[in-house]
Amino acid sequence: MTNPTVALLAALALFAGLVVFFWPDRGLFWRLRRAFRANERVLTEDALKHLFDCEYTGKLANLQSLSGTLSISGNRAAEVLGQLESQELIAPDNGGYKLTAEGRGYALRVIRTHRIWERHLSDETGYEPSLWHQEAELREHTMTESETEDLAARMGHPVYDPHGDPIPTVDGDIRPPEGRPLSQMPVGEIGEIVHIEDEPDAIYAQIVAAGLHPGMRVRVNEVSPQRVRFEADAEEHILAPVLAANLSVIPLPNEVEMVGPFERLSSLDIGDRAKVIAISPNLRPRERRRMFDLGLLPGTEVQAEIRSPSGDPTGYRIRGAVIALRNDQADQIQIERSA
Amino acid sequence: MSHPSPENCATCPAHNVANLVKLGVDMKNWDYVVALAGNPNTGKSTVFNALTGLRQHTGNWPGKTVARAEGGFSTGENRYKLVDLPGTYSLLSSSLDEEIARNFILFGKPDVTVIVVDATRLERNLNLVLQVLEITDRVVVCLNLMDEAKRKGLQIDDRRLARDLGVPVVPTSARYGEGLDELNRAISEVAKGEVVCKPKRIGGLPSVLKKSVQTLAKVIEKVYPDLDNAPWVALRLLDGDQTIAEAIGTGELAELQETESTASGELTAPAESEFGPKIIFETAHQLRWSVGKDFHLQLMEAIYTEAARLADRAVTRDGQKPRFDWDRTIDRLVTSRVFGFPLMLLMLTVVFWITIAGANVPSAMLATLLIDNFHPVLKSAAAAINMPWWLDGLLIDGIYLATAWVVSVMLPPMAIFFPLFTLLEDFGYLPRVAFNLDGMFRRVGGHGKQALTMTMGFGCNAAAIVSTRIIDSPRERLIAIITNNFALCNGRWPTQILIASIFLGGLAPAYLSGLISALAVVGVAVLGVILTFATSWLLSRTVLRGEVSTFNLELPPYRPPRILQTIYTSIIDRTLIILWRAVIFAIPAGAVIWLVSNIEIGGISLATYVIDFLQPFGWLLGLSGLILLAYIVAIPANEIVIPTILMLTVMATGASGGAGDGVMFELDSQSATAELLVAGGWTLLMAVNLMLFSLVHNPCSTTIYTIWKETRSAKWTTVAALLPVFMGFIICFTVAQVWRIVAG
Repeated sequence: MTNPTVALLAALALFAGLVVFFWPDRGLFWRLRRAFRANERVLTEDALKHLFDCEYTGKLANLQSLSGTLSISGNRAAEVLGQLESQELIAPDNGGYKLTAEGRGYALRVIRTHRIWERHLSDETGYEPSLWHQEAELREHTMTESETEDLAARMGHPVYDPHGDPIPTVDGDIRPPEGRPLSQMPVGEIGEIVHIEDEPDAIYAQIVAAGLHPGMRVRVNEVSPQRVRFEADAEEHILAPVLAANLSVIPLPNEVEMVGPFERLSSLDIGDRAKVIAISPNLRPRERRRMFDLGLLPGTEVQAEIRSPSGDPTGYRIRGAVIALRNDQADQIQIERSA
Repeated sequence: MSHPSPENCATCPAHNVANLVKLGVDMKNWDYVVALAGNPNTGKSTVFNALTGLRQHTGNWPGKTVARAEGGFSTGENRYKLVDLPGTYSLLSSSLDEEIARNFILFGKPDVTVIVVDATRLERNLNLVLQVLEITDRVVVCLNLMDEAKRKGLQIDDRRLARDLGVPVVPTSARYGEGLDELNRAISEVAKGEVVCKPKRIGGLPSVLKKSVQTLAKVIEKVYPDLDNAPWVALRLLDGDQTIAEAIGTGELAELQETESTASGELTAPAESEFGPKIIFETAHQLRWSVGKDFHLQLMEAIYTEAARLADRAVTRDGQKPRFDWDRTIDRLVTSRVFGFPLMLLMLTVVFWITIAGANVPSAMLATLLIDNFHPVLKSAAAAINMPWWLDGLLIDGIYLATAWVVSVMLPPMAIFFPLFTLLEDFGYLPRVAFNLDGMFRRVGGHGKQALTMTMGFGCNAAAIVSTRIIDSPRERLIAIITNNFALCNGRWPTQILIASIFLGGLAPAYLSGLISALAVVGVAVLGVILTFATSWLLSRTVLRGEVSTFNLELPPYRPPRILQTIYTSIIDRTLIILWRAVIFAIPAGAVIWLVSNIEIGGISLATYVIDFLQPFGWLLGLSGLILLAYIVAIPANEIVIPTILMLTVMATGASGGAGDGVMFELDSQSATAELLVAGGWTLLMAVNLMLFSLVHNPCSTTIYTIWKETRSAKWTTVAALLPVFMGFIICFTVAQVWRIVAG
């Protein structure tokens, strides 16, 4: 019979091999599949998206910017540009390149798919925010137009993606960008976050982790080369200027007041009563709807009733019923204490 | 806001005949159309039956598979057609049911829409009322389940509610026929226009949204000057509603205008070209850029808030409970840091002890009756009628015996465990267990209620899979379903106990052997719990991370358990249904067991071939070909693994004992069983690995089938079936090799 040591080692090797190959996302199998899919079509579409992005934000697109964004060699970038030009999707312009009408239409269709898919991931699945963008990057090249439109119709034709970017319409209409980087807001002025740039991943993840989201009201207290200090929903945040530049803010009219300071439902001690002021839009749509279903709405009276031995979850009395919520949910419910 | 203008004939039927015919309603012989709307489970069908008596028929909506009921009734000289709409919680989403209900009210323009609401959950039900009131003025609210509300100590001021809503509100208890005459009267008054409704409109929208709705509504009113629900159409367009947009595009909306000319069949064409439908779309499109970010949820929030406010105004709860009532005292105790966990363990131990101790006697009685007594009776009966040996073997030794075995092992523990469990649930204790343990399950991506479904799995995995319905979050529910198999079910306990007593208990001095084997079995069960957590963690971070996850857990008030009802429902709903499934699956298993042992090719039985074929693989796993075969044929029920192993051992070794090839048996004494197994070449390693494999292998086919029934997903059923087998292979393989290396 087989030597046990040999058998064990062989099995270990096999197992290790399988892990290396199929480890989610980073496994060799997935990498190969992605590399395989990163074919001409993907390059073409990513290049068009880059050109549109430059046009949208008023920057110049050229060979260098393309090879940088797509992480391809200069030669390869030149090849791609040459090909796009011969397909009349782009045309030389002013030392760089610009999209032809046809190229713009193509780019907008890809962007539409990308953003609708992000909306879908945000509203209808449990994927965490840091995964939305990379998933959509893959999807945008494989979904057909009719799949995109079916999904859009089912979701009630959303007009913005979860980062606050407008979704181009089927006819290729898109709203011009609004807002300016948070780092350029005058100190003391009040504004609203309208957009959070989702690239690069690491920076986006940091912004999400800080609990910042589109729709929040902010006021800048200090801008220096080292840091941007600002209030959002009555909490102070400090971000490096690089990070702050990825938040777009529109100024609000002068008469608008800063909201808050809020207390959170999670801060109630057992026996404390409070009235709900708002359910934060930061709560995913499904969860928000769940709160509505539970009768947890602005104006609802709540009382913290009972706490689990581990401190989380906590049971709250809401309209006669005791409902347990976890602390990360209760964090998203803004309240005003009652005497 | 346009109310029916005085020049409209208030007493004329309002419905749109052309559209009603399109919607499948035959309007011959009827004066008025009444639509019946409402949330699911509000007693809508009771109201429907009470109003129509037996004069009704059911069918499907034209082109859809959603059931529809239709009936009629008359009051005075008027005849009413009643159309039952699908039960829905709102009209805001694009689900099929909601679309049907909304389209009927919008395009059919029923003369009256009766909305049945659950008086005990007014705030949730008023959402729908407010939404319907946006579409039509002619509404009667039927405040049903008043009897239950009274029982729950809720007092509802229906007059105030009627004033707030601006439509008649009729309290009823349709089950007892109370309030139906008043409902009839209200319907006819609204139908004939004797009561003119001034319905409440949704307020509370954030001002940006309100402005946009007004702007768009004005444009719509310009194009369709006589449309009476333009603000609602505007709302729907801003929300991206495809059906409404299409209705505008096709001109269907134009037909709904309340004018004299509509009545005479002529349509007011949309006015001059610059005011055509196109301008509506363009305005809507531009406005959506400014309101579209969070429109749907803001709208929902506004409606829900309004509904809750109205409900709070109308409902008073009887005397708020005293500050230190029983509920709180019990809650403080069972969720306290000090007593919470010990109490929980104590309760579970007691439940298990009662189950195991209580099940022994009836199990033995059933086994004696079905296997020792009735089996020989059947055999001699078969002999008496000269049944051919193969038919007799297949039917009686194979099928009957397997079924009898499953019933006698499975029924008594389930019939004790489930009622006990249900009593604790009914009393209100189990939700507190979920509450206490949620912290632990949260860390591995699960739901506190998984603690309950896991515990239920110690009784029966199939029943536990059904019970995962209590977890109303898709990701956590799938986790609970896939990992439930790691809870050692009562079909596997006997295997564990037997093998542990023979092989592990035998290692220790006699006075310790009982303790050692008990510890070994508990150790296996604890390993199952550890695997549950580990697998939950892995699943929630890999294959299941895309599934939606939400949390909430209701802690209902304690109440004295309804003992008789509990015993009845838990025996019928849980025990018998699962037992029936198990019997269905045991039948083919019994047949296969008998057949593999009795079909011979070249003088050697099929079983021997398979055992020899599986032997190398079995050896690698520290098991044997024979054990693997037993597990393959015993997929339908873990209960028959040991009898099958014993039968196959006798067959393969030619040892004495047993009742013949293909006839499962168990030995009365443990030492006899031990002798037989040792004669069959069993080692300590095999015993340990059998215990491990019994814990970590595929779920029984009853459970697999139940998983399929509950998830309706081939993918998750496959994962749930195969994941544990592979884990079992890995664990047994590793243990076997390490064992051999250490043992030399």
